[in-house]
Amino acid sequence: MSDKAHIVFENVSLYYYTFDQGINSVKDYVLKLGFVKPFVKRKVLEQVSFEVKPGEVVGILGKNGTGKSSLLKCVAGILKSYHGKVEVEGRIAPMLAIGAGIEMELTGLENIKLITSLMGVPASREKIDEIIAFSELSIEDLKRQVKTYSTGMISRLSFSIAVSENPDILLVDEVLAVGDSGFQEKCMKRINDIKEAGSTILFVSHSPDDVRNICTRTICIDRGRIVFDGDVEAGLEVYRKQF
Amino acid sequence: MSRNRSIIKNLVVKELKLKYKQSMLGFLWSMITPLVFMAIFNFVFSLAFMDIENYSLFVLTGLIFWQLFSNTTNQTMQSFIRNGAIIKTIQIPIHFFPLASVITELVGLLISFVPFMILMMFFGLEFSWHFILLIPILALFSVMCYGLSVFLGMLNVYLRDISILWNTVNPALFYLSPIAYSIAIIPPEYRVYIKLNPLYHYFQAFRDVLYSNSIPELNTWIYISLTSLVAWVLGKWTFVKLEKGIISNI
Repeated sequence: MSDKAHIVFENVSLYYYTFDQGINSVKDYVLKLGFVKPFVKRKVLEQVSFEVKPGEVVGILGKNGTGKSSLLKCVAGILKSYHGKVEVEGRIAPMLAIGAGIEMELTGLENIKLITSLMGVPASREKIDEIIAFSELSIEDLKRQVKTYSTGMISRLSFSIAVSENPDILLVDEVLAVGDSGFQEKCMKRINDIKEAGSTILFVSHSPDDVRNICTRTICIDRGRIVFDGDVEAGLEVYRKQF
Repeated sequence: MSRNRSIIKNLVVKELKLKYKQSMLGFLWSMITPLVFMAIFNFVFSLAFMDIENYSLFVLTGLIFWQLFSNTTNQTMQSFIRNGAIIKTIQIPIHFFPLASVITELVGLLISFVPFMILMMFFGLEFSWHFILLIPILALFSVMCYGLSVFLGMLNVYLRDISILWNTVNPALFYLSPIAYSIAIIPPEYRVYIKLNPLYHYFQAFRDVLYSNSIPELNTWIYISLTSLVAWVLGKWTFVKLEKGIISNI
């Protein structure tokens, strides 16, 4: 099933277009009759090239703000303002933030139905039961609005929804930090199961142990550029030397 | 295709649920609000505008669609920011959010439409086959609301002043459209300015059908069709121009 999972980046540069807020820039824009660009362009990824083959588990390492999350968003097809070639094949399960897409006003149960359908695979009754069982949340909890949940409970719900199906490509962005140690272990085990099933995984983490446990390869990013691509131990060494 | 339809359906269900979450009267509010306004206008204006025959029906036919306009633009222009968390983490075409928002408001109107029809009949509305014309008028009206809201909403992502500004402009448009009085009380030489307001023609069309029980004139059809087209193109153009920066600005 996962043979089609394939990621190719060729010379990808990614930009953020932020609007220079504040009255001065607006005044400038109007006074110059639109001849100045309203956007400030900020480079996030620069000439990034790599290829991930089916079944590989790649740890993405780097300091905060160097473009790791943006890279995953690019793979997920959320960010499109890039130059270069991005090819991604396969069904993606994105876990890009704790509580991604969770609607606080809705109940846990309603959120399970909403998010699975937004991700393209509406959950069947059995699937919903599986998600509930994995999250270990009680039925009473799930019937309450999510805004009454603790952060740990939200991350349980969110993680359980995201990994309910075996995807071709799993994107994990530092979402394991919350949750009690029991649940963290369970999550790592589930990610390992997904790996065993042959899925491709991109794994952003700051925990050397987790990276060692699961990854078959690492990519190190520094200020938007790939500075290392290869073996896990060597990658962790490069990462450590950045500080 | 069916995946997209299911996504939009689920977004609409979500918006409907959110709209009436933790409110006791729920969707009844979409009927109560125009009724309260109608009562106020009846009390305040019916003596001032005595020339208007059947003022209650006149003002109600305007208010129902005014509320649709006001709610739709306000809700839809906020839809990008409201759904920011989803836009940033799940890959869904971004224009689905305003689309779902407009559909949500339309569903709200349709739910309240049957009781409103009964009420309007109580005020003297006579049933007629002309009512079928409400469908194309409502369709054109929705396209206009969608285009306008996408235009305002995309700008609002970058400059939050837009939604504040819109809240100020909204009541002004209400009196310019006009909902509470008829254009007949405006001196003839000034009527042309009222008619410059594109909204006027939509409300004229709704009232032709529901109040005057007549078919809107060809001119009215042309005006509203053109306005809807322009609004849609404007929304589309703004969307294409500004889409690339939306993730980093929500």
